[in-house]
Amino acid sequence: MRIANKLKIAGTALAVLLPFSTSALAQEPAIGELTIAFAIEATTMDPTKYAAGADMYFIGQMFEQLMAPGPDLKTRNWLAESWKIGKEDGHSVLDIHIRRGVKFHNGDPLTSADFEFSYNRLKNPEISSWSHLQKSVDRFEIIDDHNFKLHFSKPDASYIAGFLQLWAVPKKYFNKVGEDGFAQNPVGTGPWKFVSRKIKDELKLEAFDGYWNKEHRPGVKNLTIKIIPDDVTRVAAFRTGEVDWIDAVPPAMIADVKALPGVETASTGSGNNLFITFPEHLPKSPFADERVRKAVAHAVDVDAIVKSVLFGQGKRYAEIGEGAVGYDPELKPYKYDPEKARKLLAEAGYPNGLDTPCYNLTTPREPNMKEMGEAMFAYMSAVGIRCRVQGLEYSAWLQLGKRGNDSKLDGPTSWMWGHGVPGDPGIPWGGHLHTYVPGEGWGSYSYASNPEIDAMIEESKSIMDPEKRAAKLREIARIKHEHAYGGVTTYQPLITFAWNKKKVSYKPWPGSYGRSLQELGLKK
Amino acid sequence: MLEFVLRRILHSAVSIVGVSIVIFTISRMSGDPLLLLLPMDAPSEVIAAKRIQLGLDRPYVIQYFTFAKNALLGDFGFSYRWNVPALQLVLERLPATIELACAAMVFSLSVAIPFGVFSAVHRGSWFDRFGKVFAMLGQAMPNFWIGLIAIMVFAVGLKWLPAFGRGTLAHLVLPAIALGWYPVAAMTRIIRSGMLDVLDAEYIRMGRAVGAPEWILIWKYAFRNAAIPLVTVLGVYFAASLGGAFVVETVFAWPGLGRTVVEAVFSRDFPVVQAGVLVIAFLFVVTNMIVDISYGLIDPRIRHDR
Repeated sequence: MRIANKLKIAGTALAVLLPFSTSALAQEPAIGELTIAFAIEATTMDPTKYAAGADMYFIGQMFEQLMAPGPDLKTRNWLAESWKIGKEDGHSVLDIHIRRGVKFHNGDPLTSADFEFSYNRLKNPEISSWSHLQKSVDRFEIIDDHNFKLHFSKPDASYIAGFLQLWAVPKKYFNKVGEDGFAQNPVGTGPWKFVSRKIKDELKLEAFDGYWNKEHRPGVKNLTIKIIPDDVTRVAAFRTGEVDWIDAVPPAMIADVKALPGVETASTGSGNNLFITFPEHLPKSPFADERVRKAVAHAVDVDAIVKSVLFGQGKRYAEIGEGAVGYDPELKPYKYDPEKARKLLAEAGYPNGLDTPCYNLTTPREPNMKEMGEAMFAYMSAVGIRCRVQGLEYSAWLQLGKRGNDSKLDGPTSWMWGHGVPGDPGIPWGGHLHTYVPGEGWGSYSYASNPEIDAMIEESKSIMDPEKRAAKLREIARIKHEHAYGGVTTYQPLITFAWNKKKVSYKPWPGSYGRSLQELGLKK
Repeated sequence: MLEFVLRRILHSAVSIVGVSIVIFTISRMSGDPLLLLLPMDAPSEVIAAKRIQLGLDRPYVIQYFTFAKNALLGDFGFSYRWNVPALQLVLERLPATIELACAAMVFSLSVAIPFGVFSAVHRGSWFDRFGKVFAMLGQAMPNFWIGLIAIMVFAVGLKWLPAFGRGTLAHLVLPAIALGWYPVAAMTRIIRSGMLDVLDAEYIRMGRAVGAPEWILIWKYAFRNAAIPLVTVLGVYFAASLGGAFVVETVFAWPGLGRTVVEAVFSRDFPVVQAGVLVIAFLFVVTNMIVDISYGLIDPRIRHDR
């Protein structure tokens, strides 16, 4: 669920984004001050320690990777000027040439040694929560200041999917100030310099005049990000003019906010994919039968729920969201057809329907999640899949759902897993579609088991050629969809930003973790 | 008196130890923090390494004694979530919560005292009835709702006050009202009933008989006696608001302790939960101890009876 969030958070819904154009303001010297507000905040300012998707909204303003998604959702070279995949002694090698002239906020030039330092931190499980993603890298070889190689013990497509994984972390500065010093005053190559931070209160940033990407230098000199967790208060602060840009306008208030004079809004995907999952692994469960799972797929009118419960702030998808790797426009979501659902139930041996526990995630990890789950379970009950709904708080949901515990969830469960943006289902599917393999990380939250799909997922992980990998993911998606394996996909939430257009110019960009704050400018 | 104080300190220490055991146990029963700290597909060796790093692999009793020993030295460990010392995180937020709790108490008292006194003096009048209704509203309405309505009216509508945050006196007004309205009803009732008892007392009647001005009788003689029970509830409400300000802190984005601790509970950040709860418990116990000792000072019977 969160894995792709941590790799790359941005939006999946290009269709709803405003057209991107290079910000004219961003090319002029940064001026003035701006206060904006977020609902959530980063737990760390160190990119090698990131834990939650929200960390990236903030870390991504100060730090950068070798690659990044562009405003068109296509991944492009960023700190890497070029790279290629080759073979040495029969093993895959990533040969990377980094951009010249890039400087850290303290003036140090970016070199290969900084990426080696980052790699060493990322592979250390005492520092990074993602050390397992470096497992397939055998060694890091510095060629010179601007060239290095990553030698793989086995091919690893997650490296490509994760923007070549590594972050630019200033080795010299870090060694000088130490772990605590870096946490207090982080230094990266990104468009914003760190100024100060008060946890649960605010983060202050300053435009980095020496930012290498002149087309995307911030238009605002001093940026204050206030943390306002309550939805109504955040919108109220926007209405009073205390803040001029807000993240995550609550769905129920979007129409009101849009109606305010001088306000502009834009929506982007949250990076999370939602679905209803089933205890397919329990042989006695009705949901082990494909027909019952498909009955659920036909029973729920997702479009109607998105419209009425989510105020339109969601986008239907079938296995892979639009714009994501392996997206197949021909693969359509199951149609709402309650008659067909009842027929499938009868064929499966349940002409009078069935009673089942249903588990609903009540922690609002995405807007109105609880209500969306309740509505979906109500639709299921209407065709005879009578839910006894039990709400679960996030930690309990994780605890009960984890395989090996072994999962206590013996009924349909509202579930989510981040595919990120541009979405990539390969890694998430390893967690919630591949058969559970104790200790390996495969299928840690999977209740499906299909050897054919397992082999394909494992194969996709070793295909480092983007085109070939996309084709393999498309193939998996079709089989998954046809048999409703690993859950029935429902919708991708949308996040809406609002800003005061009389004062602020802003070009939303689904890359940059969906919060392209360097594209903020002040109108004169 | 010294024995009385020492006895109170001993009782307080026992309470703190009890709280530490309860919070340590309950937090560990609530779930595994590693599920929240690590990616969902983390392999078992990564999970095991993290468990060892955080000391969560050791027997529960050993974990508790290690925690207790370090806590006595002021070391509550590092926050799992924020990577900073847990006690530092808690203490940095404590002033904001104390500030809010004090402001809320000032609001409560500034409403409850005049309402309680005037309601007693003008028993059955429209003012008495209005006071009751006003005070009861504070108990009937959830404080988050009061907060949101106050924001919509005074920040968005009238633009008199800021909608969120901490900084100036103006920032304090709305959160203080949202937090401080609830105890107004109880305080008003205590003052009113105390005043009614005292106003019928012989020394007040005597004062009237000798022609003492009514306002002196009410405020100097009657109120001072009627207010003694208020000290008790004041201490309790103040201490409770330190830990109970969570909702108001969230609504007003107030960077306080309550919000920090409750969020730490949901993220299974044991060091912050333990540090936060123990700091709040310590303040609660100390406040009550001060109230007890002040009673002992005021009334010698109390210190001899216990």
